[in-house]
Amino acid sequence: MTNKPVKLPEAGQWPDKVAPWALLAGIVLSTLGFLMAFLYAGPVNGAAVDGVELIGGQMVANKLLLSQKIFYFHMPVALVSFCALAFACYYSVRFLATKNQRFDTCAKVCMEISLVFVICTMITGDLWERFEWGVWWTWEPRLTTYLILMLIVIAYFVLRNAIDEPERCGVYAAVIAIIAMVDVPICFMITRLIPSSVHPVVLREGGMSGDMGMTVAVCLAGLLLVGFALYRFRFRQVRLQERLQALKDEVEVLEERR
Amino acid sequence: MARKQSTGADRARAGQVALSVPSTFAQYKTLLAKDLQQEFRTKEMLTSMGIYALLVLIVYGAALGQTAQATDVLQLSGGLLWALIVFTSLLGLNRSFNHEKEQGCMEGILLVPMDRSVIFLAKATSNLLFLLVVEVIAVPLFWFFFLTTAQPGPGFMLMAVPLAVGTVGMAGIGTLLSTITVNTRGKDVMLAVLFVPLIFPLLYACASPTTAVVVGAEGYLDVFTQSMALAGGYDVIMLLVSWVLYDFVISA
Amino acid sequence: MNPVLADIYSTVIPSMPFIIAAYALMWAVLLIYVFVSISGLKKTEKQIAVLEEAVAELKAE
Repeated sequence: MTNKPVKLPEAGQWPDKVAPWALLAGIVLSTLGFLMAFLYAGPVNGAAVDGVELIGGQMVANKLLLSQKIFYFHMPVALVSFCALAFACYYSVRFLATKNQRFDTCAKVCMEISLVFVICTMITGDLWERFEWGVWWTWEPRLTTYLILMLIVIAYFVLRNAIDEPERCGVYAAVIAIIAMVDVPICFMITRLIPSSVHPVVLREGGMSGDMGMTVAVCLAGLLLVGFALYRFRFRQVRLQERLQALKDEVEVLEERR
Repeated sequence: MARKQSTGADRARAGQVALSVPSTFAQYKTLLAKDLQQEFRTKEMLTSMGIYALLVLIVYGAALGQTAQATDVLQLSGGLLWALIVFTSLLGLNRSFNHEKEQGCMEGILLVPMDRSVIFLAKATSNLLFLLVVEVIAVPLFWFFFLTTAQPGPGFMLMAVPLAVGTVGMAGIGTLLSTITVNTRGKDVMLAVLFVPLIFPLLYACASPTTAVVVGAEGYLDVFTQSMALAGGYDVIMLLVSWVLYDFVISA
Repeated sequence: MNPVLADIYSTVIPSMPFIIAAYALMWAVLLIYVFVSISGLKKTEKQIAVLEEAVAELKAE
């Protein structure tokens, strides 16, 4: 990235060259992950049935759960949302340190990405919960803290809309983004802190078998790349808008001078 | 006046500069005293918060009048008490920076060359004191209205610990957030939108020990200590973060 | 199909709509975000055209 002072908001560094390839790789990997989830990863055992049956050379004495296939996208999507929030926090710190408008835009776009992925997590989790637990919502620690995280991200945008001065808006939004980061480790650790929660924990349930782990890893890599490409695309678009606004202001000055 | 100037000029000639900078603690005391004095004169904040708390209790009366058994009320009491505290503190926090903004007091304070975090500490302390006063009035009232027939647990006086810890955290985060929202459009709603989610982990960690202590079921002290550790940790982290970030917020 | 096998597979069919809905809605959310970005881009392009006209007018005079 260039260090020289620029008059117009700049855009188009190396990530813009990487972004299309990241998008392509992300789509390929997440499609592969989707196929692996249904075709490669083994089914998960549920409640025991009275009787044993031979399926594909294996003795099965439990119900096979198809609903668990949601997990292969649910967890990676949630991790991407945490990742985006961490980057939003990082860019907010950079913004407070430098007061460079560019970092404010970065933080804002990161927050948008995290909101998108938080909503995805909520949708996938909620549908799984509706089938497995039979309720649309329950006040369980993991769900509650994640809902709070979603509300904070929404509040971030509400706050941005309520302030007119761009400089002040950036500072306040950055402060909220940094405080929001405090909730991320809480949300991540809550199933360990309060072991009575009903939300499944992979490690508590004896870890994942090799095929499941591989599928989750492929999905995670794919979704991280998709998230990055989306971020870069959106950032480029917002940045273009800001450049255009700066140009417009200059043209107006020229017109007035004439 | 003339003598002062001449001595100043003499000292400047001699290469000395006479500046008496008050200590940080003196600045803190002055700022806190200013808030308290203003409150003692007008009694605006305490009366409005107190009456608001009373009104919320009356609304609870309509809701709890339907429950038949006193034990139900005991189970609910922790959560209801915390809801009361959250709403009342929202009202108080909204007002705490309104005076400063309307009367141009903030500009005056900002002109003084001092560490910005002192302003945070002073403001948070005054908010904390107001909240504690309101709690001291509201909690006995809550007992008077709803719990006189119920039999609280043996250690119900321990309730003071989660109340104190929760109020400290709320005053800290609330001070930062009300400084932010006082400069936004629709500040009252904005404060609620930011305050409630950010306070939620603390609320969760304080409401459960309060309920545990009031109900006094078997092994309530385990729940109590664990939740209090969580609440204390959240308090420390949030206060530190708010303290560090306050400088940026107030200067923006 | 024997009853044990039927019991083993008993949750598969009822869970189908939920799985399909989960994946479909997830892709829908991502696509909506992409469309919002693209529409923003189009708006910017239109504004660029307006700006070009303004610059041309400025030059002509």
